[in-house]
Amino acid sequence: MNLKLHIWRQKNNKTNGAFEQYAVSDISEDMSFLEMLDVLNEDLIVEGKDPVAFDHDCREGICGSCSMTINGNPHGPEKATTACQLHMRKFKDGQEIYIEPFRNNSFPVIRDLVVDRSALDRIIQSGGYISIKTGSAPDANDIPVPKSKADVAMDAAACIGCGACVAACPNGAAMLFTSAKLKHLNVLPQGQAEKKKRTIAMVEQMDKEGFGSCTNHYECEAACPKSISVEFISEMNFEYAKARATAYRD
Amino acid sequence: MLGFLKSSILSKFVVAITGLIMVGFIIGHTLGNLLIYAGPEAINAYAVGLKDIGGVVWAMRIVLIISLILHVIATINLVRHNKAVAGKYKVNNYKASTFSGRFMAYAGLTILFFVLYHLAHFTFGVVDANAYGMEATLENGRQVHDVYSMVVLGFRNVLVSLFYIVAVVFLGFHLKHGVHSMFQSLGIHGKKFTPMIQKVAAVFAVVIVISLISIPISIMLGIVGGQV
Repeated sequence: MNLKLHIWRQKNNKTNGAFEQYAVSDISEDMSFLEMLDVLNEDLIVEGKDPVAFDHDCREGICGSCSMTINGNPHGPEKATTACQLHMRKFKDGQEIYIEPFRNNSFPVIRDLVVDRSALDRIIQSGGYISIKTGSAPDANDIPVPKSKADVAMDAAACIGCGACVAACPNGAAMLFTSAKLKHLNVLPQGQAEKKKRTIAMVEQMDKEGFGSCTNHYECEAACPKSISVEFISEMNFEYAKARATAYRD
Repeated sequence: MLGFLKSSILSKFVVAITGLIMVGFIIGHTLGNLLIYAGPEAINAYAVGLKDIGGVVWAMRIVLIISLILHVIATINLVRHNKAVAGKYKVNNYKASTFSGRFMAYAGLTILFFVLYHLAHFTFGVVDANAYGMEATLENGRQVHDVYSMVVLGFRNVLVSLFYIVAVVFLGFHLKHGVHSMFQSLGIHGKKFTPMIQKVAAVFAVVIVISLISIPISIMLGIVGGQV
């Protein structure tokens, strides 16, 4: 198949970017979206031009590295699919495709389609962990975890931290990410001791990073390659208000 | 008092709670307005009845005014920040959001201006002092403010009616998104509850819109108020 690509090219955070047009031909519909970009980059290198920079690592949909907005959808049009797992058969021969970085004020562009998502890491650093004394490994079933809670924790922990929720949000909010990371620990017995502190710290770091706030469009859930539920946002709202309301006791 | 503005989530809480209070008012106000179909005696007696319990009405008015102010301050603050930080794309392709959701701020501002006009018209009598000053006699012989004639004369003006209809339709969109959003913002959600409340919000919005816009339409068609 042949495609007409409009790709965002930007040298670095200090310069302005712009779209450039590229034509790619003889693309197999069995290729992934990133493999299609690899073909383009090989052509560009042969022509002596700068290849398109984009983030990628595992290419099996679990690392959260790939980050591009394809025709207005972070990770492209497919539900619950990362860009690396998106097949070219989902596009039509001759289609025009706009490829942009994950856009948000807190995601500065490093180059072309590569953005700096450290803001999400700083939210994790502020409280997305459980403090333990290290030592020999504990027994596997030392702390009983009810099945229902283990399931919820796993659903929340499915978040790969790619930032598609932020990129998709018309308000530029990082609430789906933050709420999933909070829920993943807050629902487990191991997470109870630091629950209140964690909830306040992570939400406040999220605000400090300058992210927007949820007005319930639910674009995040639709864009999420792991289908993280917006229910977690609702829970975060409640838990944060509760933590703030009872903070005087600590 | 405005410390909540620093927190995205606490701002959302304030928007949700003040929204809930105003939804309560909208229900009461709509039911009261529908008395116009019961004729001049019913709505004039209702209006004077409200004035007779002045203290309670004033307490409710103060709560409503504070709610409106906080609702507007919190949302303007959130929307301005959100618009500034959100990614701006060449291509937008919404998968989940709705027109009513994306229209919230525009609808809200229109409703705000409408509410100010509506108060000037029917509460302060600034728009049409003659219609506002009319009096009616109840069946018990009491001389009261003639709300019925004031409303009928007001809505015979096509422009007034049109502005009212547009504002109420916008209110409908605002309610469709707002009424289910407030539950999500306050942490009330569920696999069955959330789709259910989204439907309830849509039906509620339609019922409110039809109830309210039926009044100017009936008046312009002469179905109501023909004798005024």
